[in-house]
Amino acid sequence: MTKSNTSALGIIFPNSYDALVPELVNVRLMASIPFASRYRLVDFILSSMSNCGIANISVMANNNYQSLMDHLGSGREWDLVRKSGGLHIFPPFADKSSKPYTGRIGALASILDFLRVQKEKYVILADSNIVVNFDYSAMIDAHIASGADVTIAYNEQELPASVQAYKGNDRGIYYTFGIENGRITKIFVNPREPGVQNFSMNFYLIEREMLIDMVSAASVHGLHYFERDVLLPQLNRLNVQGFKYDGYIARISSLQSYFEENMKLLDDYNLDALFSRAPIYTKIRDDNPTVYASGAKVQNVMAADGCIIEGEVENSILFRGVKVGKGAKIKNCILMQDTVVEPGAEIEYLITDKNVTITAGKTMSGTDTFPVYIAKHQVV
Amino acid sequence: MAKEMIAMLLAGGQGSRLYALTQKLAKPAVPFGGKYRIIDFPLSNCVNSGIDTVGILTQYQPLVLNEYIGNGQPWDLDRLHGGVFVLPPYQKASGSDWYKGTANAIYQNLSFIERYDPQYVIILSGDQICKQDYSDFLRFHKEKNAEFSVAVMEVPWEEAPRFGLMVADENDRITEFQEKPKNPKSNLASMGIYIFNWDILKRYLTEDEADPDSENDFGNNIIPNLLRDQRRMYAYRFSGYWKDVGTISSLWEANMEVLDPEHSGINLFDDNWKIYSRNSGMTGHKISRGAVVENSMITDGCRIKGSVKHSILFAGVQVEKGAVLEDAVVMGGTVIKSGAVVKHCIIAENVTIGEGAVVGAMPQGEANGVATVGAGVVIGRNAKIGPNAMINENVEDGEEK
Repeated sequence: MTKSNTSALGIIFPNSYDALVPELVNVRLMASIPFASRYRLVDFILSSMSNCGIANISVMANNNYQSLMDHLGSGREWDLVRKSGGLHIFPPFADKSSKPYTGRIGALASILDFLRVQKEKYVILADSNIVVNFDYSAMIDAHIASGADVTIAYNEQELPASVQAYKGNDRGIYYTFGIENGRITKIFVNPREPGVQNFSMNFYLIEREMLIDMVSAASVHGLHYFERDVLLPQLNRLNVQGFKYDGYIARISSLQSYFEENMKLLDDYNLDALFSRAPIYTKIRDDNPTVYASGAKVQNVMAADGCIIEGEVENSILFRGVKVGKGAKIKNCILMQDTVVEPGAEIEYLITDKNVTITAGKTMSGTDTFPVYIAKHQVV
Repeated sequence: MAKEMIAMLLAGGQGSRLYALTQKLAKPAVPFGGKYRIIDFPLSNCVNSGIDTVGILTQYQPLVLNEYIGNGQPWDLDRLHGGVFVLPPYQKASGSDWYKGTANAIYQNLSFIERYDPQYVIILSGDQICKQDYSDFLRFHKEKNAEFSVAVMEVPWEEAPRFGLMVADENDRITEFQEKPKNPKSNLASMGIYIFNWDILKRYLTEDEADPDSENDFGNNIIPNLLRDQRRMYAYRFSGYWKDVGTISSLWEANMEVLDPEHSGINLFDDNWKIYSRNSGMTGHKISRGAVVENSMITDGCRIKGSVKHSILFAGVQVEKGAVLEDAVVMGGTVIKSGAVVKHCIIAENVTIGEGAVVGAMPQGEANGVATVGAGVVIGRNAKIGPNAMINENVEDGEEK
């Protein structure tokens, strides 16, 4: 069965908005930030695409991408090992004059030859700081029905304070839309409006041929940003449609929002809203089931496999292979893969990165508005 | 390309003593230990021992097993040369037969083995929970210059009459085989795991097939024939955890032993000898406020709102508020409704235990055995399922069984 006329290929930008979470991307990039006890952020976009039959996906890895390469492997977990299409990872092509990608245009310009020989009619561009279980097929249907040149997904929400706080483009540009009868008539760049906005999710759907033309023209003129430099000046000429998304969405826009968006999933209603539509796949680690020892006290906790819990845990998210020793007390924490909390340690409002050890008897705490982050491999 | 050793895994057993659990699936596909199936153990042992070609002999309810094995990727057995193959009986030009016995099952697949032209063939059993390094077994076989070796466990003398026993001399050379004897001369029980030199295996299987009176069984026919001809036969002593999980009580017991690795010796936390399985793909599990979870194993997709003590829960099990579990083995996708009391039992996959229902009871001396509820069964509200019960059909509200 080929559906090459209506099919789409995906292009993912894994470094998008890295600068909003400097702590978490110190040893990785946005796409490989661990989330919801056993996933990485990129799993949600990859699985959503794969579930919609999109089986030709390119990842424009820009920097700090070792952890992402390790996570993605051959793409098997997302059913992306294919003779035709499959998973492609495109780091910047290294030669004397090469630099990291500048904006979407720079990245896309570097793969124009690749794009020209693909067969899919459409291209979906997506950032990876957004956690959604998204129906790209519905977006493609809407795009075809409306006869749009470009369709952009958005949701209605207030802008996060952390996003508004920054000036200039150094932390990534964000966009809101003015929409009339479904058509995007205005694009606002780094707006500061209070209240609910049509906030771009940075999922773009466009015909492959049109994208190639736009990127070729823009890169010749030294332009960087697809939205600001290509779409915005041509809004009158192009039919740019908005695709409104009403489902569950988590945007990672700061360490605080990372903390809160994880914690929200302790509510079964949110967890079901995010995960029940279609499966989300991730890399398998073959851990054993989690063991709760006698004397363990666990309340309101989400945990992955491979943990050994001997102490007390409350309101927390535990990733794979976390060890909580006897008498340890953990409250309101996110403990990433293989964190060890030794006996008697007491911690509250902590985010521990992978392989952190909290030694016996230590006490540490952040606050609900300022969780303390402990970097990978640290021994406290 | 020739292989040094390939494995043939006997997985055709119906598992009739597990009745309610094996109505729709073969015994090796029975779930075990929270996220595994029994067959994960021999398959993982193969891969961890460097064996990359495994034939799985199956003929009873193979659907679940076939789907589970798939292309063998979860065990790293999707290989360019070799890999894992499910081998059901098939039609040949000269007619077709079900597998008549363990030896006949291998005999019918001699051409499979021939393709890899191995020096050695290891015969494995699909109904044991055991972590074993087959490469060490092979090293022993080669050191002894053996033609046939069998893995044996030392068992207490008083239990020896229940087993097939290998009588061996001081060099571990087998001199006699006793099948469940009244007066055992040895306490070395056969684990049903054999290494053959390929030429010997082929010769004896072919000879056995030609004998119309043979039961075509390794224990009853092949091993006695090898002894008759004074072949170089050796007993390889294995001393780790080993459990045949052919009965409800032994399956329940083995699951409970997983909760107590220090005493039982079965350790699933061994990074150097991982047991691989096909992943459920569910989210992390959730323990809600007010829930109690102690001395238990919980895996992905579980939602716990009730009380769970000394139990093993498989992927996606839901325990509603007020439900109480103790000494329970609860397989994937099962829902325990509020107020239900579930003790000392095995609940198979996708079962619903209704509100206020009671399943099983804690043992009192020898009196209360393990209650079993088969896959997909719905137990009505306030129904009562007594200890030892074997339930394979829906139970109405308030009914007692």
